[in-house]
Amino acid sequence: MTTILSDLDEGGLVARGEAGGEPSWLLDRRRAAARRFVGQAWPDSHVDEFWRSTPFDVRFDVGRAIAAATAAAEAPASVLDRVEGGGVLVRVVDGALVDVTAHPDATAAGVVAMDLGRAAVEHADLVEAHLGRLTTSGDGTGSDEDRTVSLSDAAWTGGVFIHVPDEAVVDVPLSVHVHVATPGAHLPRILAVIGRHARATLYLEHTSAPGVDALVDEVAEIVVLDGATLRLASVQDWGDGVQHLGLQKAEVHRDATVRSLAFTAGGATVRLRPEFDLVGPGAEVRPLGIYLASDGQWFDLQPFVRHIAPRASSDVLFKGALQGRSRTVFRGNVFVGRDAVGTATDENNRSLILTEGARADATPFLEIECNDITAGHGSATGQIDARHLYYLRSRGIDRDTALRLIVRGYFTDVLEEAGLPGVTEHALDVIERRIADADLSAIQVNDLGLREES
Amino acid sequence: MADLEIRDLTVEADGNEILRGVSLDLDRGRTIALMGPNGSGKSTLAYTIAGHPSYEVTGGTITWRGTELNELSPDERARLGVFLAMQYPVEVPGVSVTNFLRTAVNAVGGEELPVRTFMERLRAEMAELQVDESFLQRSVNEGFSGGEKKRFEILQMALLKPQLAVLDETDSGLDVDALRIVSEGVDRLRSPELGVLIITHYTRILRYIRPDEVHVMSGGRVVASGGPELADELEEHGYERLKTSA
Repeated sequence: MTTILSDLDEGGLVARGEAGGEPSWLLDRRRAAARRFVGQAWPDSHVDEFWRSTPFDVRFDVGRAIAAATAAAEAPASVLDRVEGGGVLVRVVDGALVDVTAHPDATAAGVVAMDLGRAAVEHADLVEAHLGRLTTSGDGTGSDEDRTVSLSDAAWTGGVFIHVPDEAVVDVPLSVHVHVATPGAHLPRILAVIGRHARATLYLEHTSAPGVDALVDEVAEIVVLDGATLRLASVQDWGDGVQHLGLQKAEVHRDATVRSLAFTAGGATVRLRPEFDLVGPGAEVRPLGIYLASDGQWFDLQPFVRHIAPRASSDVLFKGALQGRSRTVFRGNVFVGRDAVGTATDENNRSLILTEGARADATPFLEIECNDITAGHGSATGQIDARHLYYLRSRGIDRDTALRLIVRGYFTDVLEEAGLPGVTEHALDVIERRIADADLSAIQVNDLGLREES
Repeated sequence: MADLEIRDLTVEADGNEILRGVSLDLDRGRTIALMGPNGSGKSTLAYTIAGHPSYEVTGGTITWRGTELNELSPDERARLGVFLAMQYPVEVPGVSVTNFLRTAVNAVGGEELPVRTFMERLRAEMAELQVDESFLQRSVNEGFSGGEKKRFEILQMALLKPQLAVLDETDSGLDVDALRIVSEGVDRLRSPELGVLIITHYTRILRYIRPDEVHVMSGGRVVASGGPELADELEEHGYERLKTSA
């Protein structure tokens, strides 16, 4: 069954859910979300504060049908292929969970990785308690969701449920690989629950077949319970025809730690929202980002950290490189609620403009209702420093090689800190490929420092 | 014809004429000290030899073993054996010392050295200069102390085996111990295949590296030339008398 996004059909949704054996509470939620959807309009960039930087109607085409699952579509390699010993891989192709590759370590630790619809029956306690809780709550932790999220709540397909039990230590990565092979709208949905004092690594991979035009409206809810440690990565490797709306929201409980990397290199338009609600005292998040934008690409990156509980800390760092006629927006939001005494927060964004015509905007945004905190923010947009280039060339290294070393070096600190097996190697390859494809003769160099030196 | 032949060189930076007709000869196997007060044009000469883009040659020539350097890029010059030890080496974030050195050695040597061979050479040179192993994990010059930066410059010189080494105030900012290590490092590299141009404000480095000739610059020109005794004279009387007599 296909449904036109602009005219979501409640009856059709429920019929599809029933056919899939979804429990009644889930059907009720789909129904309620469909009604919210009907009552909402698509985001209006003239009105909506969070849409101001990216014209919704220009960059996102909602006049599409929801893509139906196709048989045996091949997905490209996962970053797990680069991890010695592999990991748990869940493949979602065209809105259907295709297969799950288990790993003995994860199985022994009791890790669950399965279809979300089935989990709504088999793990009803966890799924009913958490699914949609981070997208719809009205108690101050909800993010005032717009129609793009109501759409997911109502009509998601190809859902994945991940559960890491309390105190399980899982060193092999768990990856959800979403692959788009068919044109149309895709609504992947992920729910992950990381148990108390557990340790896990979770990847969200995104790829598409060459030449496919698609809209991907993705919601991931990640609950990180007391004392858990999560390393998280989202890798955007879309082809040129994909428009991606991504809400990846983590709820971080007492003394839990999340270190995340949003690696964005592919897609025509990517609007990514890595969000973190720090709801337990002592919670700690380190949201990192790397983006590589080339001609025609538009990335709108909106990390959002909400300090709800006291003595939590957050430190956001996003770094990007742009070339050609590309555009990036960094809107880093930090909210510190009135009970969040002892908060420590910082957010930083740096963009490297490689060639003329690229544009990077940065808006760090802080809203603070509490006095007893430390907060910082900063942003910088610049070009390659001619002093670096000269130093390397004075040692016999030719210009192109020197530029490669410098651009790669620019991302080294973030990649080393993220330290994600498979993702790091993949990211380095993508960076190398982008530089190799670049017109190095067009790269602009800032010689201000050079002149001051002379 | 000398290996390095500088003739009537005039150089501008940001529209200001800094060198006003410098001529100088240097053969491999010899060491020249170029002295002079601040602002006399010594560092400009060093940078110009090494092709720094902020300095524009408006007249004259720099010839290295028969090749006119003016039209060559900095990396082409380095591959011809020209090396500049910089006064203020710049930090290059994220570019690891090991990767940088290996890329440079391969570029200048014109062949891909096996990693093991390279690492053996690197470790040997580091031991000579008393450079700590932990350097290998760091980014180029990042967080280095003043002394570490200078030592790293000489380490590069040792690995790249230049035929012309220009040392731009390598001695400045070094304490006695660091100066000794760096100077002995340079002295060890002296050979019939290497010409050394030591640019300095002070004479103390010349106690470790005895020059064959001393030249003094002032106001963008060479105003005095002599043997090593000229340095001793400067030590005693300073630059004032030279300026007035020039």
